[in-house]
Amino acid sequence: MADDFVIVRDLHRSFNGFKAVDGVSFTIARGEIFGLLGPNGAGKTTTIRILATVLRPDSGEVIIGGHSATKDPQAVRRIIGVCPQELALYEDLSALENLVFFGRMVGLSGGEAKEQAMANLRLMGLEERAKGKVAKFSGGMKRRINFAIALMGHPELLFLDEPTVGIDPQSRNHIYENIVALKEKGMTVLYTTHYMEEADRLCRRVAVMDGGRIIAMDTPYGLKSRIGDPAKVTLEDVFLHLTGRSLRD
Amino acid sequence: MKRALILALNEVRLYLRDKGDLAFTLLLPIVTFALMYGAFGGASRFNATAYVVDEDGGMYARSLVEGLGRVEGVKVSMLSTEKALARLQDADLNFVLFIPAGFSERLASEGRAELVFRQRGNGGQTGQVLGSIIRGIARDMERDIGIYQKVRSNLAGTGIAVETIDVVVTRLLEEERGNPSVRVKEELTGGTGELVNQYVPSILTMYVLFALMVGARAIVEERRKGTLERLLTTRLSVGELFFGKYIAGIGRGFVQTFILLALSYAVFRMFTPASFLQSLCFVFVYIAAVSALSLVLASVSRTEDAANWIGIVFTMATVILGGTFFEVSEGSLLHTLGRFSINTYANEALKKIIAEGASLGDVVPSLLIFVGVAVVGLILSRLIFRAVSGAR
Repeated sequence: MADDFVIVRDLHRSFNGFKAVDGVSFTIARGEIFGLLGPNGAGKTTTIRILATVLRPDSGEVIIGGHSATKDPQAVRRIIGVCPQELALYEDLSALENLVFFGRMVGLSGGEAKEQAMANLRLMGLEERAKGKVAKFSGGMKRRINFAIALMGHPELLFLDEPTVGIDPQSRNHIYENIVALKEKGMTVLYTTHYMEEADRLCRRVAVMDGGRIIAMDTPYGLKSRIGDPAKVTLEDVFLHLTGRSLRD
Repeated sequence: MKRALILALNEVRLYLRDKGDLAFTLLLPIVTFALMYGAFGGASRFNATAYVVDEDGGMYARSLVEGLGRVEGVKVSMLSTEKALARLQDADLNFVLFIPAGFSERLASEGRAELVFRQRGNGGQTGQVLGSIIRGIARDMERDIGIYQKVRSNLAGTGIAVETIDVVVTRLLEEERGNPSVRVKEELTGGTGELVNQYVPSILTMYVLFALMVGARAIVEERRKGTLERLLTTRLSVGELFFGKYIAGIGRGFVQTFILLALSYAVFRMFTPASFLQSLCFVFVYIAAVSALSLVLASVSRTEDAANWIGIVFTMATVILGGTFFEVSEGSLLHTLGRFSINTYANEALKKIIAEGASLGDVVPSLLIFVGVAVVGLILSRLIFRAVSGAR
């Protein structure tokens, strides 16, 4: 499609013989929130790391905003923001210092970085804690800082790797509302989560991964229709139907 | 380049905020310096307290005690007979000078008297040195008394008052002491006269090496926490990240060294302004080499524990071979192995600058070795450095 902002074609990546990503292909339209679901070890994070130019694929192609992630990673990094699953923060710095530092790393001047940092902290409801040391923040506040950093530099494409995992309902709801606001502003988002109702409400399309492959990809409605009445079936039912009920590590 | 510098500045800021890191890299060396200062009195070769029991209380006894107190490095502590005997009995003291009752009177009348050294065993090394000093003072007293007596007897019957004779003789004797006929000149043919000058450079280079090697753990920790990975999703290239970490290591080491050298300057007064600046320049090049080694360690270590242990073992082996704790005798196996230790060159050269007033030009071979280590370390670590396991 001419409007595709992200094009992923036949992506492969192995670690010591283990196929983490095995022939993954999908596209994301500009302004779309695309959900990548799957049990632990399905290959979601590896896919995101390849798209974010951290890992090189063994084979396959990734085009983001018209730039190849393997041939021109610097061009890709100029237009992406990443909110990793881990809390990748400097705990000895304040919230503001964290945001300003990462802002400088995405190419903002000192003044711009500070301005954007304050705006993002306001967005996350942390303006009053701007000068507080991150080490003293609650898990939910750290998650919000983690998210706010990803917004520095106004990226065109946002990778959100389980941004709401393990936090209190208030912080989760706050992050959720911010993603909704970003959606309304037309930001392109690749979103992974274990909260199926979030994916159902936010994503225009979702892909379900398992064993390094995409085993289903459709709108939430389309996926639910596959196994029953979409009004009664939940995305979680679809997920369990597709990936099975056996426990994963 | 600009982003690498911002990254380095951020690292230095983190270092200055980490209380544990600061305690380890600054407080610990300061405590070591303080212990040294206590041990060496911040100064020269001999420091001791002479314990004296004055049972006489006369003029010559007082003169003897005053003479002892004037000796550089000797502090006099007066004790009562009972206390001195008790402390000797308890092995609390090894050596006490007893000035017996009648000492001054006998010296004045007969020209000879007796001092008593009460000691445990041979009195210990300090006791033996004090004994020699006291014998020297006693001989000087004996000579002075002889001079007084001879002058008085020669001038007897001339009508000159004895007090006047004594004043003149005292003045002449003082002049003689101030300008002795035989002077002793000290010339160094190696090493340094000041122990503190020998140990401070070694301790300084040891802690800098220690801090930077153990500091490699921070990079491994960042890799585990994901901040390195996150940085790679910004516009920071791997090269900039690597260079930023290298500059950060140099920055951390330099801040640490500057504070320690400045403290040594203030407390031990072991520098001239020129030797201080030259020491800073020299240590800067040393830090550049150690920082490169630290990156090699961060690159090969998979876990923080591994980085810690490799850092500690490497540091200890390097400082021992570098002669930090004891003099390595020439021709020995340790001496040969020590040629492979970066600290050998750091310690030798820094001692030359501090104690012997050498210039940077005199320590060029050491500087070249550090530059070589830095270049090889950087190339090696850049080849094996991975910000994210399995990544670029």
